[in-house]
Amino acid sequence: MRSSTTGWLLLLPTIVILVFTGVMPFIYVLLTSFFDWNLFAVNPEPQWAAANNFRRLVHDAEFLKSIWLTLKFTLYVLVSQVAIGFALARLMMRDFPFKKFFRAVHTLPLMIAPIAVGATWRLMTVPGLGPIPYYLKNWFGIDYRLSMFPDQAFASVVLMDIWHWTPFVTLTLLAGLSNLPQEPVEQARIDGANEVQIFWDIILPAMKPVLLTTIFIRIMDALRVVDEVWMLTQGGPGAETRFIGLHIWKIVFPKTDYGYGSAMSLLTLYLTIVICWLLYVAMTARKERPL
Amino acid sequence: MTRAGSKWITFALWVLFSLMTLVPIWWMFLVSVKQRADLFGKPSFLLNIGRMTWDNYAIVITNPAFQKYMLNSLIVSTANAALVCALGLLAAYAMSRYRMKGKDNIFFWVLTNRMAPPAAFLLPLYLLFTGVFSVGEWSLFDTRIGLILLYCVLNLPFAFWLLQGIIDGIPAELDEAAYVDGASTWQVLRTVIIPLAGPGIAVTGILTWVFAWNEYLFASTLTSVNARTITTGLAEFVTVTGTNWGQMAAVAMLTLLPAALVLALVQKHIVAGLTFGAVKG
Amino acid sequence: MIAMPDRRGFLPIRTNAFDRVFISVVLFVAIHLLWMRFLEPTLPLWIATVLSVILGAVIVRRG
Repeated sequence: MRSSTTGWLLLLPTIVILVFTGVMPFIYVLLTSFFDWNLFAVNPEPQWAAANNFRRLVHDAEFLKSIWLTLKFTLYVLVSQVAIGFALARLMMRDFPFKKFFRAVHTLPLMIAPIAVGATWRLMTVPGLGPIPYYLKNWFGIDYRLSMFPDQAFASVVLMDIWHWTPFVTLTLLAGLSNLPQEPVEQARIDGANEVQIFWDIILPAMKPVLLTTIFIRIMDALRVVDEVWMLTQGGPGAETRFIGLHIWKIVFPKTDYGYGSAMSLLTLYLTIVICWLLYVAMTARKERPL
Repeated sequence: MTRAGSKWITFALWVLFSLMTLVPIWWMFLVSVKQRADLFGKPSFLLNIGRMTWDNYAIVITNPAFQKYMLNSLIVSTANAALVCALGLLAAYAMSRYRMKGKDNIFFWVLTNRMAPPAAFLLPLYLLFTGVFSVGEWSLFDTRIGLILLYCVLNLPFAFWLLQGIIDGIPAELDEAAYVDGASTWQVLRTVIIPLAGPGIAVTGILTWVFAWNEYLFASTLTSVNARTITTGLAEFVTVTGTNWGQMAAVAMLTLLPAALVLALVQKHIVAGLTFGAVKG
Repeated sequence: MIAMPDRRGFLPIRTNAFDRVFISVVLFVAIHLLWMRFLEPTLPLWIATVLSVILGAVIVRRG
């Protein structure tokens, strides 16, 4: 171990950059949220507003709706992705030809820019051009229009996210499964346990840490989804797929109502941190053992 | 069921899943090489080679605005990847080799930067970039340097984490030996750490490069004309020109091209990368 | 890490000083927001402030 002064010098650039891009915005948004500051108001200078911005916020139906939609979206994608991802990971554990190739194909969506994912799905769903509306109409007689039907728009956004992020769940769970010791499973099989019992009693408990980590990361990402939803539905029809990130970015941000926008950003951050912390506590399972 | 039979059933299932993954991308490619007249009507997933055209790509690539976006994206991603690798390496080395009071708290704090929702930081960053971080007429807003620094908030924690794991894997005796021979910290980094951590640094650089290339939200709000990147260009194709699907598909294909290349290069490390090393691939 | 001993209080998890302050702040904000949403016209906001400060103090000391 060397002298700590050199160590701090090596850390310094990282700390400085993150103070400017991470800490300062946070302090700034914290301060601004207590001011009334609108560039196009009668008085464009910031004025102290105490908790007024937050008072407006808790009664803002649009904001509350976007929060609700975000949570609903997160729940839908999380449940489906973990279920599908687990099944696919188990399938990937089997022995079959061209495994590496399939794995690579399956990984592809993870690296694509979210905005390009949105563009891809937009081309699939545009009426008149995309195959999805065409075949739904011709085979099932379903009228598919993202710009008209909220349920279809919501379902499409969820499906797009499943397409985009299930591979992530598959790959992490696959990594977890491959590192699992085989003896308990084989022992149980000798003892006459069936596959369902083995899954629930042996594999699932052993997979808990990996599962929780995966869920944690997926929730954090789902809560901040913006780009691909914007490309696919523009948050529409109406505000039916306008998740919180989109709401701040497209509705609040252009209004130059900085105090109110800051309060909303701060509250979003607050909710994220609370969810994050609860998951973290669940993950480290501090109930049973000290940190 | 025989073992061989189950093997081929698994194979068939994976063919199906791979098709599901590839069809949307294949469709986009088809749209990008179709002639305008062929866009509408009964969709076919087969490539009609006789009527294929590269015009959309030609139009896009010769468009000066697009060239600028592409150039901006290249400069920003490359500079950002280089910057975070350099700083991340220094920081990770300090974290790995020095005894410092409170360094675990710093480590935790650095990582939390990555978890924050970007949308919540748009407004303060916009205000800081246009107003506070400025000298006279010049401000960070709409500059490439602004984006390069800003992407550090996403990529630096990531590089830091990944590189720390890599440096931890290099035995400390090696640099101790170099110190005994009278080498300075800088020389140890250059002659011992960098050569040994080389592959790890390359993986870190490639992944951070892709993350910076893919970023959209900050790029769209913190630039207006000069520093626009390719992802904002792609979004503009939808909202501004509205119906020019062929060109939009071409831009999108060019945007996702790096993804395919990266996949070939660092496939093994993607899992560890995306989970912050919490899950080993 | 700066040594912060963790212990078992009335909270369902083991906590150190930082955790307890953090929980107090989170509850402080939550109480104020919910108060403004549901109770404010009838009960003024400062009651929420007093309540959450007391709650915070209890959590930091005994949690």
